[in-house]
Amino acid sequence: MDLTNVVLEAAPHFEGYVYPNEATPEPLWSVLIVIYPYITGLVAGAFIMASLVRVFRVKALEPVYRLSLLTALSFMLCATLPLLLHLGHPERSYQIMMTPHLTSPMAIFGFVYAWYLMAVLLLELWFDYRQDFVEWSQTESGFRGVLYRALMLGVTDESDKAVRLDMKLGWIISIVGIPSAFLLHGYVGFIFGSIKANPWWGNVLMPIIFILSAMVSGIAMCVLNYLILTWVRRKTIDMRCLDVMAMFLFYALVIDASIEGLDWIHRIYSAEEDFAVIRQMATEKLFYTLNIGQALCGTLLPLLMLGLIQLLRKRLPEIARKRMYFASALMIVIGVFAMRWNVVIGGQLFSKSLRGFMLYKMEFTGMEGWLVGLAVLSLPFIILVVMIKLFLSEKLPTAGHVPHDSPSV
Amino acid sequence: MRRFNLPPQVVRLVLLTIGIVGSYMVARYFLTPKSFGQYGWYRGDALMERASLPRVYAGMKACDECHSDKLQQLAKFPHKTLSCEVCHGPGGAHAKDPDVKLAVLTYGHCVRCHEANPTRPKWHKQINIREHYSGQKCTECHVPHAPSEVP
Repeated sequence: MDLTNVVLEAAPHFEGYVYPNEATPEPLWSVLIVIYPYITGLVAGAFIMASLVRVFRVKALEPVYRLSLLTALSFMLCATLPLLLHLGHPERSYQIMMTPHLTSPMAIFGFVYAWYLMAVLLLELWFDYRQDFVEWSQTESGFRGVLYRALMLGVTDESDKAVRLDMKLGWIISIVGIPSAFLLHGYVGFIFGSIKANPWWGNVLMPIIFILSAMVSGIAMCVLNYLILTWVRRKTIDMRCLDVMAMFLFYALVIDASIEGLDWIHRIYSAEEDFAVIRQMATEKLFYTLNIGQALCGTLLPLLMLGLIQLLRKRLPEIARKRMYFASALMIVIGVFAMRWNVVIGGQLFSKSLRGFMLYKMEFTGMEGWLVGLAVLSLPFIILVVMIKLFLSEKLPTAGHVPHDSPSV
Repeated sequence: MRRFNLPPQVVRLVLLTIGIVGSYMVARYFLTPKSFGQYGWYRGDALMERASLPRVYAGMKACDECHSDKLQQLAKFPHKTLSCEVCHGPGGAHAKDPDVKLAVLTYGHCVRCHEANPTRPKWHKQINIREHYSGQKCTECHVPHAPSEVP
């Protein structure tokens, strides 16, 4: 290897005035900590998408109700994985779950996570699927039969009264679930927003921005999943459902873009002592991920495309709408990833002195490199494929109860 | 009077919850490290585990046994405050068996202290590596054991 490279690589990766403890080769929080809020955001967003059907009775979205709940579940199962890997000792990372406590914000996330997974997501799915499990356990054999029988939990009652109770309890859980979904992702925003010492993070709008971007990314992910699933199954797309999904995506994106814009207007107008460094971050250090990734690709272009469809829905042919929906949803999920990157990595790229910058160059292999990041990000999709095969199979008839017809108690 | 029966779904879920919480408690009993909480909110054994790791550094005294000439030379110059292993790397294995060679120097350690940084005091010799460096090894022009002298 060229000696020049050796010396330049060994040179500290910073410029300007940097405190000694900041002059480290890598930031403390790497790409795994970028993936963590990204995944939890998708969970919260996909759940809110499902609750549009159950709580807000948006009948048009019924074809994607179960798909969005399963999307939420498969991402939820992987939400803590990047954190546990980041601890550096995956083989004993379970110990963190054996020793819960209430004195650190990160430790409290364990409770928030457990509540959301066990008391909200799994329960809502169970009440929705219970009648189907009973049916399927009678028709299916082998592994599927055993699985459905086990998931039935021994409740075979299929009477109207029992199904009505399922719907009623599912509805109550969904109502509890909406604030819980906000709590889950708002809490992730709170963890960053409460770091007063860092002007890039310490911001009361942070939890709200996180929740809104979570809704945007979750709905966009459901749009993508729905389009891909119907394409793989060679089914016709329910255009009414897709249009309504995209309409909600557009509204969520409008609110998200306004609040993020408000955050920037506030930063620019108040121009506190940290503004010089923040401006340099936005115009130089994070130029591509912030301006191109987050603002242009993740917000402006999808806003234009989705807004245009809202205006010209009748005049645009179906195929054009489908392609525009796919493109905007894809750009949004990439843009929201860029947003998480900008928050997590951006907050660690400038010195607390506000007079210097650090560098972050991602490694390819290694415990927190590209490969591990890609593996962690693809795991929820693999789980989702398995879940779709097991619980959203075309061969399995569904009982046909409609979630939005749940009794209003 | 009509007996009130809890719906079967609710009964099963309550039982399942008790089962999950119960198995968590059992798992917690067995999986919590035995020395956890001995001194604080961490494994007490971790301290001894760290302490019993093999030592990779030998310390300056061990170097002095064979290389006292170098140490005497070093003592006259500003680098006297540095330990040998700061630049030469861990020497534990080399001290035990001189046939085990020390790691090859990459000269990255020179810039660790001498790369220009405004937080460093003015008297400290600093260079901007991208401007100063012309492709040779640092030691072709500088003598680390006698940094004030030119070869």
